[in-house]
Amino acid sequence: MVVVQRRELTFWERMYLPEIVRGLVITFKKMFEPRVTRQYPEQAMPTTAVTRGQPRLTVKDDGNIACVSCGLCEAACPAYAITIDGKETDRFIEREPERFDIDMLRCILCGFCEEACPKEAIFMSNELELANTTREGLVYDMEQLKRSTSTLQPRIDYVRKINDRW
Amino acid sequence: MIDSGKQPEIKRVEITVNGKTVQARTDKPLIHACLQAESEVPHYCYHPGLSPVGSCRICQVEVQQGKMPARVMVACRTPVAAGMVVDTESKGAHDSRKECLEFLLKNHPLDCPICDKAGECTLQDYSFAEGQGEGRSVEPRRKLEKRKDLGDVIMLDQERCILCSRCVRFMEEVPETPQLCVAGRGSHSIIETWNNQPLSGNYQGNLADVCPVGALTLKSFRFKARVWNLTKTASSCGECSRGCSTTVEVLRAGEIVRIRPRHDEEVNKWWMCDTGRFALDHFSEVDRLVGACMPSATRGWDQFPVEDGLQVAADMLMAAEKPLIVASPWLTVEEGTELLTLGRQLNGRVAFVSPAQNELADDLLHTGDPAPNRRGLTDLGFEALSPEEILSAASEHSSILCIGERVASLLGEDGFNSLPSATRVLLFDCALPAAQEVGNSPIDLAIGLATSAERAGHWVNIDGIRRPILQARPAPTGVWNTVRLLQNLLGLLATREIQS
Repeated sequence: MVVVQRRELTFWERMYLPEIVRGLVITFKKMFEPRVTRQYPEQAMPTTAVTRGQPRLTVKDDGNIACVSCGLCEAACPAYAITIDGKETDRFIEREPERFDIDMLRCILCGFCEEACPKEAIFMSNELELANTTREGLVYDMEQLKRSTSTLQPRIDYVRKINDRW
Repeated sequence: MIDSGKQPEIKRVEITVNGKTVQARTDKPLIHACLQAESEVPHYCYHPGLSPVGSCRICQVEVQQGKMPARVMVACRTPVAAGMVVDTESKGAHDSRKECLEFLLKNHPLDCPICDKAGECTLQDYSFAEGQGEGRSVEPRRKLEKRKDLGDVIMLDQERCILCSRCVRFMEEVPETPQLCVAGRGSHSIIETWNNQPLSGNYQGNLADVCPVGALTLKSFRFKARVWNLTKTASSCGECSRGCSTTVEVLRAGEIVRIRPRHDEEVNKWWMCDTGRFALDHFSEVDRLVGACMPSATRGWDQFPVEDGLQVAADMLMAAEKPLIVASPWLTVEEGTELLTLGRQLNGRVAFVSPAQNELADDLLHTGDPAPNRRGLTDLGFEALSPEEILSAASEHSSILCIGERVASLLGEDGFNSLPSATRVLLFDCALPAAQEVGNSPIDLAIGLATSAERAGHWVNIDGIRRPILQARPAPTGVWNTVRLLQNLLGLLATREIQS
């Protein structure tokens, strides 16, 4: 058995009131300082082009998806989150995805897909929120992943810039 | 006919490849010896099964012979001579190959992300290894037809073509039906069919295999899968008694998307026919017979697991006097052995359905006999009976057990349905025959089997060559391996015999 020797409280400490006053002084001081707590989700965190959020597919200005379903992101994905099936199109670019699923529960937001893509078709967007009541609902299909080029433009410019360094 | 019998005497001479001494065949070009010495020499126009032409010029190696200074030459058009010293990795060889590659890529489009050949394209591999990142050409690339329809099987992309002429030579030399040609001259050369006719014949699918780039692709495989997602399993083709060695390619452990020939010097060399290549419907997972089922007067087809089905089968077979056991020629040697044991135990008559010759027979590979393991089952001691003979013999037996892939369809839909109602019919097959309704169906018990892509074993082809079939994908849940099924049935029968 270990007997813990507690420190004897001093007279002022045993008085109790001066300590209350000391605490309230800190409280009142903080009331006039700028607040640091963010009211999430009402106040979202600001994002920049560097933010590596969830991957999204670009839709070109002519309304067609930029992806040609080459499967490189699928091969690069370390978490096996991506599944792609291709099909033939009548357009000049002969191939487009028939199915493009990303399992957001598996996705680790590493950005390898964006790096592997030869067609500027997949980008890490600034979208970070992910919630659903079922697991199936978090496997996003092509329609849920499509974003217009203008939405993704800051990220596209950023990726082009960093790729120029190589 | 590909003769696998007597080979002419092969002369060999000693040469040195990258410091390795090789006994090189004199009837083959130098590149054969280099590949034999496991030296990587890139080659596009050279194919071991076709005559060499030396049109792509990529297989350049440095050769030193006698007192002559070392020279760079194309390995596929250089005959082998004793005492040659070959260096495939010298600076001279590398430099000329690199220059040659730059010319090949001058007009080659940059559509690897779209191209079906990507991942198994040697032009892609070698560009990655040795090619330069940027083109120096200022002229635009040639614009040609990207979707040229060449009949039912093949799609031609003229832009991707590097004019190696393998396809032209294949059509001339293997099925000996020349249909393709190199039309135009110089940089205007393109691959075309004579008079723009669609391709014909039973060997068109091989064009997609011989094409070293993605110019000739299979329509049925077009944009279906990326080749690195395919699981490849060595197997044998079951569409005729030739039993060509094949590779079965499965996408994500599910659908079989492609069957390709596998090099087998004794059976099919590098080729296979389109009948076998596109026989993918037989492996479909739709409308499969899973578990066991029995007709019930009130509930239609009564479904239950295989374990219970085998108990019923054992009871039925024990009650039979001298059952007729009808095997499908798709059964493997291993399954045939088990079935013979079963036949002996039941004192039954064991035969296999011997289908009639079909009109697909040719001089090259297809034998026209749709029974892949005819030789194997005959050697084991099975009786070969035609569908008609089986149907007439059925009335003499109180029970008939039809077992194996496609056995019901071999007997014919009408033939199978006309089996006498007094005879008890047990059908072990991959699928129920079409339009089987309780009441007018002759089936008393049906148990699902695995197709030849879902089980392993051996077939013996028409020339007596034993070749494996291997499991390319898992069987559907509730379907047993045929050997396991037969062994369990034998065990059940033995237990019942002891009990009685």
